[in-house]
Amino acid sequence: MAQIENRIRRLRFDAGEMTQKELADRVGVTRQTILAIENGKYSPTLELAFRIARTFNVGIDDVFTFLE
Amino acid sequence: MPVGERESLTGLISMLLVMILFAWRLNGLHAAGAFDGADALQVWARAVLILIGVSIGIAIVVHVAVHLLLSVLTGDDLDERRDERDHLIERRALTWGWYLLSFGILGIVVDLALGASGLRALNLMIALCAGSEALKDAVKLWLYRREA
Repeated sequence: MAQIENRIRRLRFDAGEMTQKELADRVGVTRQTILAIENGKYSPTLELAFRIARTFNVGIDDVFTFLE
Repeated sequence: MPVGERESLTGLISMLLVMILFAWRLNGLHAAGAFDGADALQVWARAVLILIGVSIGIAIVVHVAVHLLLSVLTGDDLDERRDERDHLIERRALTWGWYLLSFGILGIVVDLALGASGLRALNLMIALCAGSEALKDAVKLWLYRREA
């Protein structure tokens, strides 16, 4: 079970329905990696997490939540 | 399909073909008595060197064929980018390959200590290298599928 939840799908929707491919290109990873992150199957590195947050102009806490 | 997943698929197909080729050729030489003389190890080494060259050709052909097939099936350009997830999966899969290789080498040493011939040990070593590579590719495929 994933210990980190994310709001990437919601943030993509709010950003004019940005596609996974567009987000992937902007942060420099593959579409499959974005898909895996969104589905909670892969936890990104801190660097990638920051890049995703910056893409949406929000803080990292607004994208990822660590479940205790 | 990520480049890493595609590579592991081509690796598995290539390795299967190469293992069949090695088994067929070395078995044929053995049946013909090529390894019965005093220069058995030299004959074996020459045969393996030729097979390695052929294997590289097989790997290239399989790589190109799978690439073309996937391009046609998916209908778009394949992503050649490699990111942090690819590297993580590669490391995890490599660890499993190394486990098999390490324990296998230990087994071959034990086999030699129990009286096995050098030729048998070398054949087992080739099979072990191919097996650990195949295991690495299989684990990679499984990790890509599981985390898709």
